[in-house]
Amino acid sequence: MSPTVLLVEDDRELRATLREALAVEGYHVHASASLADARAVLAHALGGGGLDLVLLDLGLPDGGGEALLAQLRRERATPVIVISARHGDDQKVRLLDAGADDYLVKPFSLAELLARMRVALRHRGTWLQPTVLRYARDGLEIDLQGRHVRRDGAPVHLTPREYALLARLVRSAGQVVTHRQLLADVWGPEYTEHTHYLRLYMGQLRGKLEADPAEPRLLLTEPAVGYRLVEPAE
Amino acid sequence: MRNAGWRRGWPAPAAWAVAWGLMLALDGHVDLANQALVLILASAVAAIWWGPAPSAVAIVLAVLAFNFAFVPPRGTLAVDLHHHGLLLLAMIAVSGIITALMARLRRLAAEADQHARRSDELRRFGDALREVDDPLSGEAQLRDLLGRLSGRGVALFVRTADAGPEAATERWFGEPTGVEEEGLRLCAREGRGLGPGSGRHDEQPAWYLPLRGRHQTHGAALVHLDPEAPPDAQERAHAQALCDQLGAALERAAAERAAGQARQQAQWQAMRNTLLSAVAHDHRTPLATIISAAGALHDQADRLDDAQRRRLAATIVDEATQLARITDNTLQLARLDAARPGAAQLGVTREWESLEELIGSVMRRLRQRDPAHRLRARVEPGLPLVRCDAVLICQLIDNLVDNALKYAGDGGPVEVTARRDEGRVVLAVRDRGPGVPADLAPRLSEAFGRGAAPVDSAAAAGTDAKDAGGAGTRRGTGVGLPLCRAIARAHGGELSVRARRGGGTTFELALPVEPAPDAPADEALPEGTG
Repeated sequence: MSPTVLLVEDDRELRATLREALAVEGYHVHASASLADARAVLAHALGGGGLDLVLLDLGLPDGGGEALLAQLRRERATPVIVISARHGDDQKVRLLDAGADDYLVKPFSLAELLARMRVALRHRGTWLQPTVLRYARDGLEIDLQGRHVRRDGAPVHLTPREYALLARLVRSAGQVVTHRQLLADVWGPEYTEHTHYLRLYMGQLRGKLEADPAEPRLLLTEPAVGYRLVEPAE
Repeated sequence: MRNAGWRRGWPAPAAWAVAWGLMLALDGHVDLANQALVLILASAVAAIWWGPAPSAVAIVLAVLAFNFAFVPPRGTLAVDLHHHGLLLLAMIAVSGIITALMARLRRLAAEADQHARRSDELRRFGDALREVDDPLSGEAQLRDLLGRLSGRGVALFVRTADAGPEAATERWFGEPTGVEEEGLRLCAREGRGLGPGSGRHDEQPAWYLPLRGRHQTHGAALVHLDPEAPPDAQERAHAQALCDQLGAALERAAAERAAGQARQQAQWQAMRNTLLSAVAHDHRTPLATIISAAGALHDQADRLDDAQRRRLAATIVDEATQLARITDNTLQLARLDAARPGAAQLGVTREWESLEELIGSVMRRLRQRDPAHRLRARVEPGLPLVRCDAVLICQLIDNLVDNALKYAGDGGPVEVTARRDEGRVVLAVRDRGPGVPADLAPRLSEAFGRGAAPVDSAAAAGTDAKDAGGAGTRRGTGVGLPLCRAIARAHGGELSVRARRGGGTTFELALPVEPAPDAPADEALPEGTG
């Protein structure tokens, strides 16, 4: 069965283009031009569930999207991908902190969008199920149950803090995790402003896990937003 | 004051007393002329402390007493004109002259003292005015100084005309009456004083003093005078000098403001030119390509084969991506330039960032444009964190690397490095390209010197050079380098360009290193966390 996507985008051309492109990829798309419109779709067409993913553009004519996200988070676990213009950094991060799953910055390529959607759909409902426990990619293997981290088969020794940070990223593998989320989950809610902790620990993790720390392929930086562990191999 | 004067003058009667004691003691031992010398000595000594009037009285009384006590026939005021008349007259004359000289000396000393005090007051007021940003804040001090001079009330009228004489603003300090306001306006307009001592409206009970700058008058001061003790011409001159100090300061400030406005105007103009030429040159070229490729797809779809269609679509994607980046640059430059230098930069969010991370994220993005793997990054281990705006620094690195990839010539390596250098962190982007062409160098450095100066001409020249070489898409970044410069400035850093030994170009960004925040302690976590 094809996944159902709610696309909230006020630009007519972009909405039509994305709708068509997603349909070609086999998605069933409901398109809305405003928050009010989106709420109506949620209440009626998708009232009985069956919604798999929301693409939410920021800067809609009738609001910033926070209210819609809050409503979605109250009612269902549907993943939300935020689409933002270049300089909407603050709002984008606020929405991620409030529970959005990922983000894209306009202009983005279709390939990027599809990749993000794939990851989001894979994580769909993980908050109900046991979390992702295994990760493997490019010679890096992580087993959260057995607390093993191996690179090219050889065990890697991590400090407890490094391990906690890595484990948090593994649980959201492929998705961005904001600075605030990482700091709150690994150090505690009173540390959410200490971004320099992350710089130091991510540097250490890269030193241990990346082939070339100056050009990371696994532990990616999303400037001013957070970090992303690249999605695991299929 | 009077009593104090008498008290301060105590050595004078003491001198007289000692002199009389001496004269009585010497009586009979020396002759009359020597006794007279003691009296003259006493009058000279007493004149040091006493003013001319008491001294004159004392001398006359002393001479009479001398006559009575010592000059024969003693006990009478009768004088033997032949013998002693000359002596007594000489005594009076010499003592009088000494007293007069003393008095004159004292007056000169007092005047010099007064003069020095006023110069000092003037200098200190001038210094105080120079130290404040707005000379108007010196108005209270001026009113205080003038008030002390006259002992009466003072009012000030200041006119500032920043935006031309039509938009002059008037400020009033103190409480002048309607008539006085008229007087102040007249005085400021004419730049000449009114009131006693000015030769104009001498009957007025107050001085009207213009606040004169070098070129124009910036207002006027009203100083009420005490009709019992009107100040003299010197005091008036001093009051005028004080007013002129404020006038000069107001003029200086107005000139500085005007220069600042002109500078800002020029910056805006340069900025506007940069943005316009960016739109004119950099935006139109990719747009033209996109429109023709899309047009071909649209109009000739059935006559194109699959490969052609794919190529056209790829061209559209490439050109649109390029356009997006140029738009980003243009917008960012406009945003940074709109912020006033020095002020907290609008939209610059500084956090502790690792240059290694930022370089890494740019490298990942640029790899897609670097199929030949010419890009290499080298980051010194243990580099300190820097406080910067991650998005802006990424944009800067992205622009420099993109620039190097375009200009480095075919297949030449492009290196991104970060290292520590004497309290700074230096990020460098180097290529082995043909370097900056000689005819371009001055324009490039000009762009660096002024920040927002357009380098579209440089970019255009670059395009020409490349077209002559006949290879690929080498297009100027237009606002790219001015943007890099603006980003460096917003971080208190410095961007420089220089030729490499052995060919090629190095762009360097030096960022200041600030004291690092506390490092976290990696305390052990309980098992099972995470």
